[in-house]
Amino acid sequence: MVDAARQPLIQVKTFTEVEKVEGFVGNFKVTLREKAKYVRADRCNGCAACAKVCPVEVPNPFEMNLAPRKAAYIPMSQSVPLIYNIDMDACIHCYKCVEACGALKAIDFSMEDKFVEEDIGAIIVATGFSHFDPSVMSEYGFGRFPNVITAMEMERINNSAGPTNGALIRPSDGKTPKNLAFINCVGSRDKRYIPSCSNFCCMYSIKNAILAKQMHPDTEITVYYIDIRTPSKGYEEFYDRAREMGIRFVQGRPAMITEDPDTHNLTVHGEDTMLGQVISREYDMVMLNQAAIPQPDQNHMSSVLNVAQSPGGWFMEYHPKLRPIDSPTDGIFFAGACQGPKDIPASVAQGSAAASRASRILHSDQWQIEPTVAVVWPEKCLSAQGKACGMCARACPYGAVDYVQGKAPTIITAKCHGCGGCVGECPTDTITQLHYTDAQILSQIRTLLATEPEKKILALRCHWCSYGGADLAGTSHFEYSANERGIKVMCSARMDSDFVYEAYRLGAGAVLFSGCHQQDCHYITGQIVGAKRATRLQGVFDRMGMSPGRFRVEWISAAEGDKYARVINEMQASLDEIGPEKLHDEITRMRPEMAKRITKLPNIPLVQQAFNRADEFQTIMLNEIKAK
Amino acid sequence: MSAQTPNTSLSQRVKATPGGEHLLMCYSCGTCVSKCMIQEKINPNYNPRRLIREAVFDDTELAFADDTTWQCTACDLCYPACPQKIHISGVINAVKQAALDAGVKNPAQTAQVDAQTCIACGLCVEVCPYEAISIKVLRVPNRGIIPIADVDAGKCMACGLCSAACKSASIRQTNEFTDQALMDNLWGYLAKGGLA
Repeated sequence: MVDAARQPLIQVKTFTEVEKVEGFVGNFKVTLREKAKYVRADRCNGCAACAKVCPVEVPNPFEMNLAPRKAAYIPMSQSVPLIYNIDMDACIHCYKCVEACGALKAIDFSMEDKFVEEDIGAIIVATGFSHFDPSVMSEYGFGRFPNVITAMEMERINNSAGPTNGALIRPSDGKTPKNLAFINCVGSRDKRYIPSCSNFCCMYSIKNAILAKQMHPDTEITVYYIDIRTPSKGYEEFYDRAREMGIRFVQGRPAMITEDPDTHNLTVHGEDTMLGQVISREYDMVMLNQAAIPQPDQNHMSSVLNVAQSPGGWFMEYHPKLRPIDSPTDGIFFAGACQGPKDIPASVAQGSAAASRASRILHSDQWQIEPTVAVVWPEKCLSAQGKACGMCARACPYGAVDYVQGKAPTIITAKCHGCGGCVGECPTDTITQLHYTDAQILSQIRTLLATEPEKKILALRCHWCSYGGADLAGTSHFEYSANERGIKVMCSARMDSDFVYEAYRLGAGAVLFSGCHQQDCHYITGQIVGAKRATRLQGVFDRMGMSPGRFRVEWISAAEGDKYARVINEMQASLDEIGPEKLHDEITRMRPEMAKRITKLPNIPLVQQAFNRADEFQTIMLNEIKAK
Repeated sequence: MSAQTPNTSLSQRVKATPGGEHLLMCYSCGTCVSKCMIQEKINPNYNPRRLIREAVFDDTELAFADDTTWQCTACDLCYPACPQKIHISGVINAVKQAALDAGVKNPAQTAQVDAQTCIACGLCVEVCPYEAISIKVLRVPNRGIIPIADVDAGKCMACGLCSAACKSASIRQTNEFTDQALMDNLWGYLAKGGLA
């Protein structure tokens, strides 16, 4: 951090919070709150005279509250910039610091929080993680037994700049512990608290064990674990080294810690699952390796930045395998543990990668996006006519729809990724997706069902998964019914219910509604929008009394060519089973109902009309871009 | 118990039983074992974690012969401690029911009803925490067909509450827990100056 602060092109703003983020890639407007330090940065030279005279002592959170600090303090010795702060919650306003500062006149009690607006091209979020509080697990007695400590407290005790100057001592009596236990997975991998694995605790429990053993080779150290996870390069060797040094590893999660009230020694009760026996051993000190959890204000940051959160509360990346650094919003990137528990090498790698991703944006004058963005025809919008709607904004996974009740929405083109979710959801066709307009898709449906529609299976496929699945079925020469006719759209969210109704109105035998599996969706939550609509359609057709198998919803990944072929064959089989007469009757019976349900059809221009209006589209697009 | 097809495996059967749904989630951390009072006080060979492994691998031979199957008192000390939220006593009970259905006899002691003196007052039915006792109409030698307390050997944990509650001393425990054995024990203890 000190190095970064010395680099002239880097501006480090500490003690500053992000209040508001507006705009889009390359053109963010960020409002920052620079909190008052009550010490003027341009005058303070870090001489510590104020801290020396300050009479107030409060626990120091940086030392995990193991040591005190003054109300005039620096958060840590490597602080950037190295100037003092005054903690107004603790200050008693004796003004001794002002006297001590003397002619420098650096201390200014009249300072207030300042709001600054900055133009930002790209944002890298590196807000880190927080720790699970083990005091809620009463069985381990953290908070009640002085010698049960957390990993972060151990970290400070081990540190030569820490509260004990690096001496390994236990909190109850200040003696050096001879017998230490480490307990892994405290709160993590636990359905009652944090179900996920915290990734790095195995390694730092081994690290702390090795450090303690190096300092005091006669210390007996036992590590209790459920599974030791050493997946990266050199990690298993590190674990080997710990065992060679005589650190003992017990597979088994202790159920309870009890304390001897006189000596404050602790007894850990746990099963050694390798032996199949319960062992109760006495230790001088026990360290709990607690779970990593998202920062307490992660939800707030998520709404400020408009990036989604994964289950568990971490920031969600664009794609878990292919774009692990990018956020779903272009121009915002993640580094480190704010995106999920990560150890130091992984965080550094992600930080460097995020910096290079961001510099791509900073070094280009233009930013290319997919051409399949959404465009608004404001005259049809319900909201503009004074009715409550907002379905487009709810469907958008990227926050690209700027919706205000009473006005037609506007699409922030730079944020739009072209899933078509808003287009599919809009009840009045106010929004159109370029290159996947209703007119284009309906023309495809009409053409594909022009002859013998009752024999056809119309497959609506999403670009990324089920279209790939169908492609794989073809290239792998999986045999499936030749009656299948496919239409590609970008996402299952674009699969308008009108397309399905129109297909049945034209007499289609069967319709397949297919897209990605939910966790694979390339548009974050697009599949959820599509799946909801599919469930609704399924209900409608069930109530109409449609024969089973004529409408099918399947989530098929690009690797599931065999599944695609199987699904189509099954649909063909169910069509064969229904038989042509019954099918014909059913189609005829349902046609008026289907026609009634296509609410938007009169509004949908034919292709020729749309083609004639192509120039109009382009003008709208250009005007929008110019406006920004 | 619902009727089970004979080819249902043990693990499927346990999973279908309320309480046993999360059977396969067990990662063998051993928390339940170190929580268990039976393991600590009575039988060091008692091990719920091992029984769960046996059930996961459908090893009926080992599971039905395991002490754990028969000795659990369903005190549920382990359940709130389990990080995978497995209802362990539910799993054990499901294994036990499977064993009983397969014709395995409960090797643990159960309460015994003295058919000659029972008056079917229902006190034992009320106190039994395992719902193991019911009043049934049975043919009893010398007394004809009469209502009488009946102990379900599959559910009885031989806790002795029924014996303590019975006003006519008609329901008793076996081996070292009969009234006589307990009194002998007590007198022997006092004779040695037990309390002094």
